[in-house]
Amino acid sequence: MSEIYTRMGDGSRVVTTRSKVIDDLNLGSADAADMGVIKALSSDLIEQLADIICDKNRVVGVEPGHEVVLTYDIGQLDFTGDNGNSGNGIDMGRLEAALLHERAMGADTFELAHADYSIKPVKPVISNEMQTMEEIQNEIVAPFFYGAMPNMGLYYKPDGPYGNPADLMREFKIEEAMDQAEKASEHMARDIEFVSTRIMSAGSDGFNFDTTGSAGDADVVGTFKGVEKLRKACPDADILLGMAGECVMGIHGSIEYDGKVVAGLFPHQQVKLAEKAGADVFGPVVNTNTGKSLAWNLGRAVTFVRECGKVAKIPIHVNMGMGVGGIPMCETAPIDAVTRCSKAMVEVAGVDGV
Amino acid sequence: MVENKKALYDAMVAYKVPGIQAAVEDARKAGMSPTEIIDALGDGMAEVGVLFERGKLFLPHVLSAAAGMKSAMEVLGPEMLKAGTKTENKVSVVMGTVEGDVHDIGKSICSTMLQCGGFDVHDLGRDVPKQDFINEVKGGCKMCGMSALMTTTMVIEKDVIQMLKDAKLRDSTIVMIGGAPATQAWCDKIGADIYGETASETTRKAKEINTR
Amino acid sequence: MGDPCGMAIPHLMASGLGGIRTSGDLVARMQFNKNMKIKDARKYVAKKLGVSDFEIGDEYIMRQLREELKIGVITGLPNAPRGIAAKMNIEDLLGIKINSCEKFRQMIAKR
Repeated sequence: MSEIYTRMGDGSRVVTTRSKVIDDLNLGSADAADMGVIKALSSDLIEQLADIICDKNRVVGVEPGHEVVLTYDIGQLDFTGDNGNSGNGIDMGRLEAALLHERAMGADTFELAHADYSIKPVKPVISNEMQTMEEIQNEIVAPFFYGAMPNMGLYYKPDGPYGNPADLMREFKIEEAMDQAEKASEHMARDIEFVSTRIMSAGSDGFNFDTTGSAGDADVVGTFKGVEKLRKACPDADILLGMAGECVMGIHGSIEYDGKVVAGLFPHQQVKLAEKAGADVFGPVVNTNTGKSLAWNLGRAVTFVRECGKVAKIPIHVNMGMGVGGIPMCETAPIDAVTRCSKAMVEVAGVDGV
Repeated sequence: MVENKKALYDAMVAYKVPGIQAAVEDARKAGMSPTEIIDALGDGMAEVGVLFERGKLFLPHVLSAAAGMKSAMEVLGPEMLKAGTKTENKVSVVMGTVEGDVHDIGKSICSTMLQCGGFDVHDLGRDVPKQDFINEVKGGCKMCGMSALMTTTMVIEKDVIQMLKDAKLRDSTIVMIGGAPATQAWCDKIGADIYGETASETTRKAKEINTR
Repeated sequence: MGDPCGMAIPHLMASGLGGIRTSGDLVARMQFNKNMKIKDARKYVAKKLGVSDFEIGDEYIMRQLREELKIGVITGLPNAPRGIAAKMNIEDLLGIKINSCEKFRQMIAKR
């Protein structure tokens, strides 16, 4: 049986065989099917994924005519940011960074980002962000959004005014924890309205909500409510809503949006609520398990995302950065792994963008 | 007895405190020993952890089950003392997100699971100075768990391990590491003992290493 | 996410339309503006451009077309519209409204 080079979820290269790849694809898909109560991939689709993973070439790609849209998160921080964002650590102006992405890197859309890429820190500097948005919109041609993470964790002590549910729960103060999460959620929704409507008034094409749900289910509800407020105030805003994980963490456990408990929802369920809130494009996330192979992770990710795409009325732009969408968790991503995951998501999961 | 064992397990998985208390009472009346009752509840708690990881139960449910376990121990603990049964000394664990890092949701979930798993958890929160971990180990913690969510802060885990060595505490301390950028390879590289992809896996490994 | 060389560029090479190199910006606008899925967005843009769905990702065809239609190109071409000017031409081409162009029109309205 001929040897095939592939990757583990941490990016390390390993040697495997096609039959092992197929086994791992099936196991990963079965794991997703079990967790999400959805269908596992058919044997035809598994074979298609195996062909992609086992390709002998370093770089693989979709056939001409099947290209999709690439949207971005973290804005210019891929150039200017530090190792934490896998940033290159090159200081530069945000106008230059935006035009470089448009002209030198083929970005279909781009976004403006604050160095502290969250809603709460942007509030006091919103005028600064607005003036930069106006400046860049005068020069850029591609759709140019403003991006930020809702990051509701910043609303809890010591960074914010509300009690930290994780600390309260450890003291068995469950009801108090839930109450604080609900209050933080409402506060964040108001801040989202404040920041997003002002940036829209500066000429932004729209807003990108990145890693929705990083602080759990109350974070998701606060973001959805913020999106509703933005949609109401700016009916024509382009809204991209991306998640933080494949399953909404139930830190509150029973908080609802549109009459539905949000905890435990998977991408095919998350997207329906995102549509209800008013999002134009949805970004599902599937986290990579560093101890499993690329095949396992990709089989799992494609299963979740394909199901999401099947039920979605809006376009799906699957999140595919470090440690998500099947891609290894590695600061310097292996190019062979990235192109395989990219091709797989377009051709097998059927995404509208990445 | 088998029925009582199942009832205890089911009550734990249903996570409601009154239900757990009722099942414990029924088991006591049926003549089950405190140790047998605790073991059955422990199996239920392990299943609660699995269901939490699969997104079927959520943190308040896990906490409610833990509260039920705590309430059961309040009744069974004194009984075990009366009967002269040696109660297991809880293993003390210091947990914290390392200095310079403020992400703590995963670490807090792990602390909760360890607590539910029978460990005595000293959770120092986030942005924890390195020396604080050492102080807790000096104060009696047998295990040291560190979380970091950024590649810039995960290197502090290596520093703390070195500090344990310098203080001649490394051999007597079990070191656990976790957080999004952490991997088994990182754990091996810095000489930590346990890496868990999830809170459940970390708790399971912590239990295993302590029963060796 | 960061590491442009290892993430953004491989994705572009593997599956991206390439933004204003070809028609990725136009297809993206239809996805967001009208919630079109990829196939519909590509067909819509192709029809507006007067080319086939297959051709909208072809640099050779799209470079000439973008220059003719004055909707922005990737190279530094003096007198070629950029920014608001190019986007106003895109509005006319696709039959949509672009927020920054609306703001521009509001700002010059009282002349």
